[in-house]
Amino acid sequence: MTLVMVVDDDQDLSEMLGIVLTGAGIDVDLVSRGDEALEVFRNNPPDLVLLDVMLPGLNGIEVCRLIRAESMVPIIMLSAKSDSYDVVLGLEAGADDYIVKPFKHPSELVARIRTRLRRTNTDISGLLTIGDLAIDVTAHQVLRAGKQIALTRLEFDLLVALAKEPGRVFSRDALLTEVWGYRHSTDTRLVNVHVQRLRAKIEHDAERPEIVVTIRGVGYKAGVMGGS
Amino acid sequence: MNPYFFRFRNSLALKVIVSTVLLSVGVIYIAGSALNSQLSAGIKKVNRQSSIVEARSTIFSAQYRLLLVQGENNAAVRKVISNVISSATSLTSNENAREVVFLRSPGNTKSIDYEITSNLVDPSSIPDFLSTKVRKSSDIGISYVKIQYISGLQIPGLAIGQKISIPNAGQYEMYMIFSLANQNTTLKLIQRYLFLTGIALILLIGLITWLVIRQVVRPVRHAALVATQFTAGNFSERLEVRSQDEIAKLGKAFNEMAESLEQQFARLQNLSRVQQRFVSDVSHELRTPLTTLRMASEVIFSARDGFDPIVARSAELMIAQLDRFERLLEDLLEISRFDAEVAVLEAVDFDVVSLARQCADDLALVASEKSTELRIYSIAESVNIRADVRRVARILRNLFSNAIDHAEEKPIAITIIASDDDVAIGIRDFGVGLDEATLFRVFDRFWRADPSRARTRGGTGLGLSIALEDARLHNGELEAWGRPGKGAHFVVTLPREAGSGINSRLIKLQPDDYRA
Repeated sequence: MTLVMVVDDDQDLSEMLGIVLTGAGIDVDLVSRGDEALEVFRNNPPDLVLLDVMLPGLNGIEVCRLIRAESMVPIIMLSAKSDSYDVVLGLEAGADDYIVKPFKHPSELVARIRTRLRRTNTDISGLLTIGDLAIDVTAHQVLRAGKQIALTRLEFDLLVALAKEPGRVFSRDALLTEVWGYRHSTDTRLVNVHVQRLRAKIEHDAERPEIVVTIRGVGYKAGVMGGS
Repeated sequence: MNPYFFRFRNSLALKVIVSTVLLSVGVIYIAGSALNSQLSAGIKKVNRQSSIVEARSTIFSAQYRLLLVQGENNAAVRKVISNVISSATSLTSNENAREVVFLRSPGNTKSIDYEITSNLVDPSSIPDFLSTKVRKSSDIGISYVKIQYISGLQIPGLAIGQKISIPNAGQYEMYMIFSLANQNTTLKLIQRYLFLTGIALILLIGLITWLVIRQVVRPVRHAALVATQFTAGNFSERLEVRSQDEIAKLGKAFNEMAESLEQQFARLQNLSRVQQRFVSDVSHELRTPLTTLRMASEVIFSARDGFDPIVARSAELMIAQLDRFERLLEDLLEISRFDAEVAVLEAVDFDVVSLARQCADDLALVASEKSTELRIYSIAESVNIRADVRRVARILRNLFSNAIDHAEEKPIAITIIASDDDVAIGIRDFGVGLDEATLFRVFDRFWRADPSRARTRGGTGLGLSIALEDARLHNGELEAWGRPGKGAHFVVTLPREAGSGINSRLIKLQPDDYRA
């Protein structure tokens, strides 16, 4: 069974989240303090972390950074503020997605969690190449010259989405649909921040990207490296 | 406008100098004229008196010498006359020239003629009125005349004459004419010096005024400069205060004002920070319980099939009210962001026509529930603008919803017109309308056109206020028109490039279909 770790200091909300997620067939581990989150995470590694931004002890953004430092687990931030600052900070700390309170529907939350948990790209298998990288879709691995590069599931999905159609330029909205599962969201910050994070891991020089190339005013596409 | 005039209007120093100089020109002119007339009158008087004395004695001695040659022959008489003339006209070096004229009185029928003038003076130099006067009186007659020489030369003079009788020749008049050429030269000289002194005085006054005014104006100019810096937001600038005079007092007052402004500004900034903080806190504090409430109510709602109908209906009502509560919270937060001036414009390029169509589609169901519909009439298939798409969509949704609420089952016309710089969207309904007093308050928060009207759609009462703020954030404008029973017309005009300001009204606020 799937296990989700919920880190939120509001007891009632946590309990309610527990009820909703359990109802959807997901096991829940409730944590109420930021400084306890990492220990619980280590003792009982979950499949996904649902993390509030404002937490006692240690704030959600710090917790996110600490978890990301040792795991590629999907992280969804819960934010009471739609104001860009918190959201961007959370994404930069390594969160895959965010949900603004109050969410329209509990089913929306469940859907987001499922999107982040599902094994994507089951339709393709085998090996893809992008630039000088080899992607083993089945094994969920990215290799450069035989060495594995550790990517989060979301970063992997983002890379595969670009790599499987090398000629196509993806608009940010298209990527939001493809990778995040949004039908019509206009928050392109998600894409921008994750492309930055992905580049930091796979590019030789993140300032001059060659694998994930920006097409100004349109979006991104898989780059063709000179010669290869 | 003339640049000099412009400079005059803009420079206090120049203004003061010009008016001081103009005033002193007047004063000096009056003083100079008075002095001039006093001086010339004095000089003329002195001249005249000495001339009279001399003329009397000359004429008296001539008469006496003529009496002495009574009974002698004509040659002797003639000799006396020529002696009289030569002694009277002989000059010392600094004296005025003088002439002598003998005129034979009319009625004198003696054959011998002694009519004679000195130095070829034309006898007509003596005007008729003077000779008439002399003939009638035993005393002297005086008049200012023009001395006319045969050569045609004319100089001003003073003529003094008296009757005189010449032996064997009867009644004559003897005139002495004193040239006033020297006197006039003196007067002209005086005038010239007065004039030059006046000019010099005026220049000096101008210079002094300039020097004095500079002392006053310089600190004022400095103060103006500092005040300009203030306007630009630099509150740290202060005036230098060195002395104790009025200017220093001005400087001190200015600095105190600056100090107070700086403090006020800091206080307001702090207040604004507190406000933002508060808004953010309220946001968080309210959202968390609202999230729990929502989830709880959804769980209850999804299980409503097993409930008693009354409980099931209650669950529905609860969900609906939570929706409304959430909208109200969002609107309140947005309003407080506007109030705290922290609302930010995130401009992107998009097509406003398709946005309007999308908003109309979203509200189509609500419109048909109210037996109305939204009809879009656009001047172009697409109008691309650069603006905050979320805010523009909110403006349109708010205006469309408002029109639907008041349309009274008549269709709503939405007009979109664009120029190179601006785009205007007019929303015209033909429903209940608005009266003048209402128009005034239509954008007020929580204000309702008719309090007795049922609130069927559960609007927040903040929609139009937020729409207005959204339009203004784009440097655009939102205006309302209405007449009772004739419907309403809302026109929003936005710059096609967000923030650049609108310079036209593409849609007339009072609709063409309306006749008063």
